[in-house]
Amino acid sequence: MKMFKRLMLLVVIAGLIVAWTQSSESTKRYIIHIGKQVPSLPYRYFV
Amino acid sequence: MSDYDVIVVGAGLGGLSTGALAAKNGFKTLILEQSDIIGGCCSTFESNGYKFDVGASIVEVIQPLDSLFEMLGGKRSDYMDLIPCDPIYSFITDDGKRFSYPTDIGACTKVIEDIAPGDVEGWNSFCSMGLTMIEDMMDAVMLSPMNTFGEAMKLALKNPQIMKFAPTFLRTHQGVVKSFYKDPVMLQSVAFQSYFAGAPPELGSGVFGYIALSEHLGIYYPRGGMIGIPAGIMKAGEEHGMEVRTCVKVEKLLIENGTAFGVRLEDGSEITAKIIVSNLNAQVTYLKLVGPDRLPPWMVKGIASYTQSMPCPMIYVGLDKKPELEAHHTIVTSSIESMNDVWNNYYKLNLIPDTAMSLVCWPTEADPSLAPEGKHILNFLCNAPAPYAPLGDNWDRLKGWYKEQAIKELERYVLPDVRDHIEYIEVSTPLDFERRLLHPQGGIYGLFSDMTSLAMFRPRSRSKAIRNLYLTGSSTHLGGGVPTTIASGIVTSKYLIEDHG
Repeated sequence: MKMFKRLMLLVVIAGLIVAWTQSSESTKRYIIHIGKQVPSLPYRYFV
Repeated sequence: MSDYDVIVVGAGLGGLSTGALAAKNGFKTLILEQSDIIGGCCSTFESNGYKFDVGASIVEVIQPLDSLFEMLGGKRSDYMDLIPCDPIYSFITDDGKRFSYPTDIGACTKVIEDIAPGDVEGWNSFCSMGLTMIEDMMDAVMLSPMNTFGEAMKLALKNPQIMKFAPTFLRTHQGVVKSFYKDPVMLQSVAFQSYFAGAPPELGSGVFGYIALSEHLGIYYPRGGMIGIPAGIMKAGEEHGMEVRTCVKVEKLLIENGTAFGVRLEDGSEITAKIIVSNLNAQVTYLKLVGPDRLPPWMVKGIASYTQSMPCPMIYVGLDKKPELEAHHTIVTSSIESMNDVWNNYYKLNLIPDTAMSLVCWPTEADPSLAPEGKHILNFLCNAPAPYAPLGDNWDRLKGWYKEQAIKELERYVLPDVRDHIEYIEVSTPLDFERRLLHPQGGIYGLFSDMTSLAMFRPRSRSKAIRNLYLTGSSTHLGGGVPTTIASGIVTSKYLIEDHG
């Protein structure tokens, strides 16, 4: 079971790496932009 | 005993709408405006016999305006004369193509058959999806409070049909339009609108991807200039006892034990009220009028985390000759990649873009009375964002550069001998917008609008940190633009009446 979980995690990480490398520059910039905003969301929600 | 029930700081569209509705509901209401003219960005000033619009150049999606006047017990048409503008836009693309989009969707389909025959099917799907969305969202969302997850859930349960549009909010403007269109020219004509929401197509929220369709519900210009809209709302409010004072600058909000109870003016005098509504940008309201020392740390962190929308210089031109234009709005546009490039490789690096991306507005086509007889006005908005602090330069020098750029573009696209016919030309820089409209960094579209700063992630209309303090206008729920700012005023008044009515 532990082995299976590790394998699944590897598959997900590999999938994300493939998706990232195949994304357009525009999509990458969007993901980076949103990623930078996410930590502020809990604070923004209460403003 | 307070001097007033409600004091509204700022006579922009949001402030006037909230104030008028408060007065209609029996609140003794005072509006304080620091400028000598009302309306904020939606206003008109006179110079050398010409009446120029400060920023906003048309109103589209007039349902919130109609709803406001209904709530005030009147009819919009009794307070302002809105002139329909058709065609919506005339386009000049980067490869020199010129075409116009008529308001009528059927007639517009014929134009698209000519310019991008492969995208007619996409256009039909765009219309079908977009019209349903606009209709459903207008009724269910636009005028409804949605400051918390609870309120959003309540709205979704009451209007389950809106849930199918949720993915649109998670997509980008570019993602939405590219899912319908392939032709580069077609894409140019539906992508530049993301800058009207203050963001490039690759970052702006997908919901703004449908602006290109909502315009087909009609765009209008108020007779007498854009100030006709705030003036009409003010008149209706005054009929209910609302009082408006101009040239009065509020320096601080009076707060005791976490409760707002009045304002201190620049001259040191104080006016008290049970309720304070701020129509200023939320960052200015909290960080300057309230002060970080009166706010909990999480609030300071949250409000400081927002970025302002981009500034755009505006050039006001008075001509003694009729310009060779076809529509109220002429767009000089460029490819979708170029629109993103301007943001990434110029604006973000504090560089001035050299790409021609502009909106030329010709208000004297709709209303000749704005200029002396036989003369014309062109309001030239640089749609390419300009940095607030240009690297190695300053706005005093750039004023001249922008004037020259505008003249060159007008020579190229509008009137070859325009230089000989200019009677008046003036530039409003980001610094001017910051001083006149109190928009931090001159960001005329309020706060930056992406999916992380919309709906419940935008500053609340009812302050969570300060009791009896309410916010309205472009930086609150719903955001910038004439219809959404009016809607924000309606939403704020709903909270105010619910709490104190």
